[in-house]
Amino acid sequence: MASKTPTDITLYTVGTPNGIKASIMLEELNLDYKVHKISFDKNEQKEDWFLAINPNGRIPAMTDKDASGNTIRIFESGAILEYLAATYDKDHKVSYPYASNEHWEVTSWLMWQMGGLGPMQGQANHFNRYAPEKIPYGINRYVNETRRLYRTMDTHLAQAPHGYLVGDRVTVADISCWGWVAHGFWAGVEIDDFPALKKWLYKLLERPGFEAGRHVPTRHTAFEQMKKSPEELEEDAKAGQKWVQAGMKQDAKQ
Amino acid sequence: MSAPLPIKLYMHSGAVGGPNPYKVLIVLHHLDIPFTKVATDDSKAEWYVKDINPNGRIPAIEDPNTGLTLWESGAIIEYLVDEYDKGGKISVKNGKGAWEAKQYLHFQMSGQGPYFGQAVWFYRFGDNMPDGKKRYLEQVERVMMVLNNILEGKEYLVDDRLTYADLAFVPWNMVVQKWPLLSDPLWKPYQIEEKYPNFVKWQNKLCALDAVKRSYEP
Repeated sequence: MASKTPTDITLYTVGTPNGIKASIMLEELNLDYKVHKISFDKNEQKEDWFLAINPNGRIPAMTDKDASGNTIRIFESGAILEYLAATYDKDHKVSYPYASNEHWEVTSWLMWQMGGLGPMQGQANHFNRYAPEKIPYGINRYVNETRRLYRTMDTHLAQAPHGYLVGDRVTVADISCWGWVAHGFWAGVEIDDFPALKKWLYKLLERPGFEAGRHVPTRHTAFEQMKKSPEELEEDAKAGQKWVQAGMKQDAKQ
Repeated sequence: MSAPLPIKLYMHSGAVGGPNPYKVLIVLHHLDIPFTKVATDDSKAEWYVKDINPNGRIPAIEDPNTGLTLWESGAIIEYLVDEYDKGGKISVKNGKGAWEAKQYLHFQMSGQGPYFGQAVWFYRFGDNMPDGKKRYLEQVERVMMVLNNILEGKEYLVDDRLTYADLAFVPWNMVVQKWPLLSDPLWKPYQIEEKYPNFVKWQNKLCALDAVKRSYEP
């Protein structure tokens, strides 16, 4: 692979479905960038210097320099993907020309991921793995909604001539959804129920950009983890429960 | 240039319905873009899912001027300001401000809409689920706190002028501010006016805009 294009980008991230969207995109575009791993254990995402980059206190966030050398700060994974496509993908390797019909179709799917798939699967994770008590109603509501959203993708991909969400190439629409689908098992969704989606998941895994990007800043273990037994997954959830519940308390105090 | 043909806006026909179509309606009114509403009370109907929105939700638009069909309110707003706001009345065309506006739109899509929506759901249907109600009311408050911090010393989110980013937040804010089922447990008990004055002032100012008022006329 050709040597990487130098940039002034620093990515502030954690290895979650939202975090790896940004690193996969950066790798797909073959850009050189710095990584700052945010420590949830130390609540680093609520420190003043980070809130100055992202007032919402969430990862990922990114800084870059514009043509005049001024620092640009970008938060929200969807905005980061749009920014990287517009700024660094002039050859349209993973995007379509701005304002083309395909560009807008990509935007629909990106917004769908941001407003639907991510938040709903996130709630399923919460009720399925992190909530202080298991509330069947909460689990069912969000697992069912996540399944509905997977079905939407599966139906669409089954008819897609090239196997991507939009047109003949991988785009930010695919990149934004991929990390979530790889972790579907964590939310309680069985990928085998969605054959076209499963094919898409593994096809993208073969791309060097996805392979490099998914391991930033820590190793991506979804594919090993999905083979574990329910008991082993429960054990894995305990570590997360601690900081999720501590974070909820902290948010409630503010 | 001849006047554009009206855009078709797919949304519910009744007076009561979800807030997402109003995000689009406000932008259409504010930019004086001609449009017609297409009553879509069954967004899961086969014709709609097949030809308009594979996700089976409203709003969606069809623009006869460009032949484009588009769904997801956030994508529609990006498209409308790109195509029909060349002068930058409510959009920032270049540089830092342009990306700030986009990131706030994404925050609205991923942070405000889904959490406010879950709060609504638990208050409507979750009678015996106090934990669910509490969880999402706290998330609503957290989003208000974030917006209040962003608005400290500012009148608007981006470049100190009205943009589509501000308008996108109005309909969901209005739900938790004006719909008693949510505003009763939230507004006074959580001391919203006292704790988040920048947020409240901003929302009230936006509600007074002509385009917002027209969007909610019966």
